[in-house]
Amino acid sequence: MVSLHRYIRNIRRTGLKEWWRAMQYIGDAKAGQHVGTDQLGNRYFENLNAEEEVPGRHRWVDYAQHDYNGSQVPPEWHSWLTHIRKEPPVQDPVMQSSTPVWKSPYVENLTGTRGAYRPYNTAAPKIIAWEPTVATRT
Amino acid sequence: MSLASRLALQQSRARLLRPTQPQGSVVVRQILMRSLSSSPRRLYAQHASGHNHAHPSAPASSNTDVNPYKDGQSAIDKAVHLFFFTEILRGMWIVMEQIFRPPYTIMYPFEKGPLSPRFRGEHALRRYPSGEERCIACKLCEAICPAQAITIESEVRQDGSRRTTKYDIDMTKCIYCGFCQEACPVDAIVETQHHEYTTETREELLYNKEKLLANGDRAEAEIAANLHADHVYR
Repeated sequence: MVSLHRYIRNIRRTGLKEWWRAMQYIGDAKAGQHVGTDQLGNRYFENLNAEEEVPGRHRWVDYAQHDYNGSQVPPEWHSWLTHIRKEPPVQDPVMQSSTPVWKSPYVENLTGTRGAYRPYNTAAPKIIAWEPTVATRT
Repeated sequence: MSLASRLALQQSRARLLRPTQPQGSVVVRQILMRSLSSSPRRLYAQHASGHNHAHPSAPASSNTDVNPYKDGQSAIDKAVHLFFFTEILRGMWIVMEQIFRPPYTIMYPFEKGPLSPRFRGEHALRRYPSGEERCIACKLCEAICPAQAITIESEVRQDGSRRTTKYDIDMTKCIYCGFCQEACPVDAIVETQHHEYTTETREELLYNKEKLLANGDRAEAEIAANLHADHVYR
């Protein structure tokens, strides 16, 4: 019954409100350290104690939107969430130094909406239709 | 051979094989009672009679009965377990334990599995830190692409440099082998860690140059950090 103990302990740590939100979304009572919030409002958590969280499930995100999907994680936090980077991007010196000034804001996968990408030709057309010009008769 | 003669032959054989009359009647009575009784069968005795030639030293006494219920529960125990549904309650207890047990499943959109810095996902075209696009239209990626998914057209710009006017990747053809980013001399085309770009229509997967540059503009920090993590192995 260690697992029931974990469940009740995590509820007591996070509080009933956070527990209810977790049951609506992730479906498990998890408790961990809040390591950061990205520009979209998603909150990221981490619990490195292997006795409390199964290794591999020790990093998770609480999406800001109700209609969540996996592409709502920005790339910097995505590389933290998929265990590529050890530090969260706000504390990662490599991630901070390699962020360019011309970085554009992240948008999620917009397929199925009006913002979806539609391909177009970026080169000038090679075939131009013949437009006959009639010389004026004298 | 006629039917009557065959019957006569069988009767004479049976008379020869049957030992003696009283023993035969005992055997018949035992067989009849065996089918009706609930007492344990003489397992060892049957086994020994069947394979007596293999075990000539096996004793064929009548004290070899095996009672399979010897060490089991008593009838009262069984009745208690039956009438109090203990097996069902034990099963429900296992189910209740599983409800509160932390699942090993990675809850995907909230938790993601580990990826490598070399993971090959959606493509992106990178820029120099100054903002200038890297691709010089050397077409090495187009040449090495085994799926022939890349199409490049180029022209000379007004400052004399050669840049692409068209850089199309057909993501439905791409096999994500990573040869394009290996072939690229200026690290312009890379495959990012982004893999959640599923689309509703097929045409959204025909990426052009602007889409690839936009991918690079969004993910440049992640791409540069991955290259930094991997540069010692290159």
